Amino acid sequence: MEPEYSATVVDHFEHPRNGGHFEAGEGVVRGTAGSVAQGTMFVLSARISDHRIEAVRFEAYGCPHCIAAGSWLSERLVGLDRDQLRAWRWRDADQALGFPLEKRGRLLILEDAVHSLGEAWPPFIP
Amino acid sequence: MTPAKTIYLDYAATNPVDPRVAELMIECLRPEGAHGNPSSGHSFGTRARAMVEKARQQVAAAIGARPECIIWTSGATESDNLAILGVARFHADRGRHVVTSRTEHKAVIDAFKQLEKEGFEVTWLKPGADGIVRPEQVREALRPDTQLVSLMHVNNETGVIQDVAAIGAICRERGVAFHVDAAQSAGKLPINVEAMNIDLMSITAHKTYGPKGIGALYIRRRPPLGLRPLSYGGGQETGLRSGTLPTHQIVGMGAAFEIGERDREADVARVTALRERLWQGLNAIGGVELNGHPTERVAGVLNVCFHNVEGESLRFGLRELAVSSGSACSSGSDEASYVLRALGRTDQLAQSSIRFSLGRFTTEDDIGRAIAIVRREVERLRALSPVVAQSHGT
Repeated sequence: MEPEYSATVVDHFEHPRNGGHFEAGEGVVRGTAGSVAQGTMFVLSARISDHRIEAVRFEAYGCPHCIAAGSWLSERLVGLDRDQLRAWRWRDADQALGFPLEKRGRLLILEDAVHSLGEAWPPFIP
Repeated sequence: MTPAKTIYLDYAATNPVDPRVAELMIECLRPEGAHGNPSSGHSFGTRARAMVEKARQQVAAAIGARPECIIWTSGATESDNLAILGVARFHADRGRHVVTSRTEHKAVIDAFKQLEKEGFEVTWLKPGADGIVRPEQVREALRPDTQLVSLMHVNNETGVIQDVAAIGAICRERGVAFHVDAAQSAGKLPINVEAMNIDLMSITAHKTYGPKGIGALYIRRRPPLGLRPLSYGGGQETGLRSGTLPTHQIVGMGAAFEIGERDREADVARVTALRERLWQGLNAIGGVELNGHPTERVAGVLNVCFHNVEGESLRFGLRELAVSSGSACSSGSDEASYVLRALGRTDQLAQSSIRFSLGRFTTEDDIGRAIAIVRREVERLRALSPVVAQSHGT
């Protein structure tokens, strides 16, 4: 039997928002976590403007929950500043998407990707 | 609830009952039909017994056996257990070494694990990357105390065909009992148990367009092969398998095997053409590989791995198709297929593998739609994958 997925997961899996990536350039930062060998990998890229995230793109290798989480996150990160990004925790995504207990480790990989994005965000980007 | 438009491509898991078979079965269930107990001496019983014996002849004829060599069981799992445990336990005082492979069905693997618990020593043969166990591997594994070799004719996950005739000849030469799980080959490949030197063979009805819940074990009778039963009771089936015979299911299995053998060549030709069209369509997507030997394979099974696509997402994306990843008997597990792992596939590629299995009722339209659905989902998931982006240097 395949796992069951919430309506929100199915919606984001079937209609992912903001899939892809921004080409490297001024005001663009990139965060990554996980690997194919782990079965889960996220790459986030964000365009920064006026000290806040203006837009996010995501790429994900993983189960439907992971793809849905990347899509869901890409909408939630818009408007955050660097400190808010570094303070982001996985529980919001879990609450919104209903991850099964055995898959919660994959949300920690997502959290790592968000923090990696924060680390890649140098203080001098306006 | 099953979506109305789901395309059934899981014939290796089970088949629908052929309507011609279903008609004959229903006749047995009616009050005026052959509903008597085949062991009863009155007219209802003798009528049922005649139908059971006719079915025994039909099944025997399909595999080149004599009817008295056919024992009815509940299916291939019970047949495998009866053959493996029955022979090993009966001959335990003569030797406690048995041989099988790592890519057998769970019904065989778990029966051998049970023998290990009982003090038997099991040699687990490793097939090549193409899924084939070479006859020489079997020869090298045999010892003076070897009692039994058990290998499947066609692998349920990859469709790869083993050279059971060559292995049977080696076992016969060395006086070792040879069991074959033929659940996936009956009705799909020519089988002659005597010419192939097979001593025991497990078959089932539901993979040959017959009903679920009925199977048979072929047992060589001359010279007799000692076998200890798994259950005790009324002494039916020469004491090897007690229990009231289910006439309607047996009649269904007999008819299914007769039709299967009669229509085999035409069915195989049609299904092979459909499978080849499916493979050409999937291969054109790119980044796909066939699992198992490219030509030594049964007509209806195509097992394909998709690079750079995660398995669970692929399966969920393909839910308009009734397909399997691994055996239907173990695909509830999140673990990668042990069969594909034994063939050298990584966990990721094994998890990203899909078994498409076609059959008598698969249509050209089914295949065309299936190719379009797989292409759509694979391309969609790859577009979201960081692995694909990295491999393109971005």
